[in-house]
Amino acid sequence: MTSNASRSLLLRAAALAAGAAALLGGTALAQSQTQAPRDGGTLTAIVQPEPVTLTSAINTAAPTGFISGNVFDGLVDYDLDLNPRPALAERWEVAPDGLSITFFLRKGVTWHDGHPFTSADVKWTLENVWKTIHPRNQATFGRVTRVETPDDLTVILRLSEPSLAILSSVNSNGAQVLPKHLYEGTDVLNNPHNLKPVGTGAFVFKEWSKGNHLILERNPNYWDKGKPHLDRVVFKVIPDAAARAAALEKGDVQYAVFSPVPLKDAERLGKLPGLKIETRGYEWISPWLFFDLNVDNQYLKDVRVRRAIAHAIDRKAISNIVWYGFAKPAISPVPSTLPAFHDASVPQYEFDVRKAEALLDEAGYKRGADGVRFALTHDFIPYGDDYKRTGEYLKQALKRVGIEVTIRSQDTAAFTKRVYGDRDFDISSAWFAAFSDPQVGVTRAYWSGWVGKNTPWTNGSGYRNPEVDALIAQAQGQARQEDRIATFKRIQQIVQTDLPSIPLAELKFFSVHAANLKDVVTHGDQIYGSLKDAWFDKAASN
Amino acid sequence: MSIAEPSFAPARAERSARRGLAARLLRRPSAVAGLGLLGAILAMAALADVAYPVDPLDMVGTPFLWPGADPGFPLGTDMMGRDIAAGIFHGARVSLLIGAVATLVSLVIGVGVGAVAGFFRGRADHALMHVTELFQTIPPFLFAIVIVAILQPTMTNVVLAIGLTSWPSLARLVRAEVLRLRDGEMVQASIVLGLSDARIILTHVLPNVLAPIVVSASIMVASAILTESSLAFLGLGDPNIVSWGSMVGAGREVLRTDWYVATVPGLAIVAAVLALNLLGDGLNDALDPRQNRR
Repeated sequence: MTSNASRSLLLRAAALAAGAAALLGGTALAQSQTQAPRDGGTLTAIVQPEPVTLTSAINTAAPTGFISGNVFDGLVDYDLDLNPRPALAERWEVAPDGLSITFFLRKGVTWHDGHPFTSADVKWTLENVWKTIHPRNQATFGRVTRVETPDDLTVILRLSEPSLAILSSVNSNGAQVLPKHLYEGTDVLNNPHNLKPVGTGAFVFKEWSKGNHLILERNPNYWDKGKPHLDRVVFKVIPDAAARAAALEKGDVQYAVFSPVPLKDAERLGKLPGLKIETRGYEWISPWLFFDLNVDNQYLKDVRVRRAIAHAIDRKAISNIVWYGFAKPAISPVPSTLPAFHDASVPQYEFDVRKAEALLDEAGYKRGADGVRFALTHDFIPYGDDYKRTGEYLKQALKRVGIEVTIRSQDTAAFTKRVYGDRDFDISSAWFAAFSDPQVGVTRAYWSGWVGKNTPWTNGSGYRNPEVDALIAQAQGQARQEDRIATFKRIQQIVQTDLPSIPLAELKFFSVHAANLKDVVTHGDQIYGSLKDAWFDKAASN
Repeated sequence: MSIAEPSFAPARAERSARRGLAARLLRRPSAVAGLGLLGAILAMAALADVAYPVDPLDMVGTPFLWPGADPGFPLGTDMMGRDIAAGIFHGARVSLLIGAVATLVSLVIGVGVGAVAGFFRGRADHALMHVTELFQTIPPFLFAIVIVAILQPTMTNVVLAIGLTSWPSLARLVRAEVLRLRDGEMVQASIVLGLSDARIILTHVLPNVLAPIVVSASIMVASAILTESSLAFLGLGDPNIVSWGSMVGAGREVLRTDWYVATVPGLAIVAAVLALNLLGDGLNDALDPRQNRR
């Protein structure tokens, strides 16, 4: 009976996966048909939750980035394969020794208030915002010692050590340039322009009615001639997921991001003729879901127990059943969406209950009279039902191999304090953005310097390995990308052997958009990028 | 009990009333229906381990099997492939247990506060009633949410939260009844006889306010089950156990596509609450002396 049941479970899982693949494949196909874009129209999108501010340079929250990328351009943007493409910088050069990066800026670009955009804006923002206020960039630009501006259109970054990660994070979200003439000498964090931003981007800020909507209008003087195609973009605040689904279904809203509706509803909405589900546009953030195993726990400190747990978990079931196919099984903390850095040859822990039991026996934890070997707790990241269900799956999976799991739930503040501060947990779950360079998003999960520092979203497992620490430091200063790739592959091999945290799935966030809204995703960093390519095909209008 | 205690008329009436209670209850069709329904639910709870020996949280089947689609899963399976029928049986146990224990907590506090306030009057009454009013000013459900959110959602905390927030109305009811009896001859005579306050309250006052307590207790069990379900629906249930509320909560996000996941346990809640309300009504009628004379 049990084997029958589990077989039918697997069959269903395969069917679900195939369905999801068909869904995604169909979307890609539709997008590849090329048509001449039509100009005009108003796009209504959902922003959820409402942003606090509109400049990503001072606040990296997702809703801020979603709007801000339309008002501000980056020095570059990233294509779907995460290669940098010219934006405000027409081209860039890295010195052979890696100790300087030169950006050649685009000529004739103006801020929305008419002031010319120059190298002084870049220099000022780097020195006064990125290196001091920006949460991630303090590390990314940490090795910049001096910024030179020989002329209005040239910026040279002088580095103490090569720092190739910089080029993976100079889009409008990673390194947003602010207008020096409006910010210099002011309190940057409280500058009124944070709420009515002045950028160089395709859309100009028009108005923000708090709690209601936010309007951007077409920038007629945009440097990318012929763009944007849309006349105006309205961002609506709709806090309730069911109401978001209804607004999309009704056609009141044509675009929503970051998995805006319940996952199961996405399947239903995707089948409607007027709507499309889009999973591209999230490549730059490359999210992966994992369990952190507290290596200070008396059982989890044994690597055999950690490996046994990995063998007891069916990552396919997590992707296909728990996440309804909106995820792909992960084998390494560097997601396969970073093809250059991803190492597919890391040690793998296939789903094998017998192997798990053998490892636990070998570690000396035999089943007791009641069938239980030992008990652990699980704290799931309180971001929604999907993470709770992942915890419920863990509980049942480990029960099969004789480990009793008690699930605990709490709010986000209590969760981050418990995991990253007090370290009072056994197994926790979380998702991190890897970003397009593992240095930016992945190494924080393994660097021992973060352990117990109460810095959320860092090293939760408590893993301390001097060799890995040394490799992380080494990768930061390596000049040649091949060397860095080799170093990051070595790191993946070690951490997947030691297994302080178990990568579960590469999450596929999705956007929902109207079928007649074309080219809404053209960048790998689209959700934090510009809608300048988007246009309405009236013919296909429903 | 060696001293010959005076036997008072109201107490005797109460005893005789209790003898005929079952008979009177069974004369009322609504009470019989309530008892039958409650009996069925109790039987489900008792037989859960026999009917569904596996853990109801186990993923045993294909996800999203509609009720009736597979004879092995008469009520279907949920999004994780868990057997909904097994959840209903095991959930009956949890929901009834939470309802009963929370009501017990509430009864202890409510009857205690009401009896002391009504019997001693004066300062004790003032102090206790002010505390009661304080509790009454906060909507009980919001209060329960706050308690569970602060204490972490475990089954014990959920029971405590429901018990701690549902006693004030009972305390006021008991106080009013006790105030009425306080000046009666029976109590005055007991004081003259030199009985201790505790003894008077326990043996002479409370037995005479039993009827309203029993009636409100049956309704309180129903509302405790509802409150637990609402908490679980909001994600404030104990994730380690299956209750009807947690099943409804889990089904909420697939309501548009697979509504049966939330509806089946929802119907179980309706049945339980209905049964307890019918029983409460029946008890109310049966214990009402004016109705009995008719």
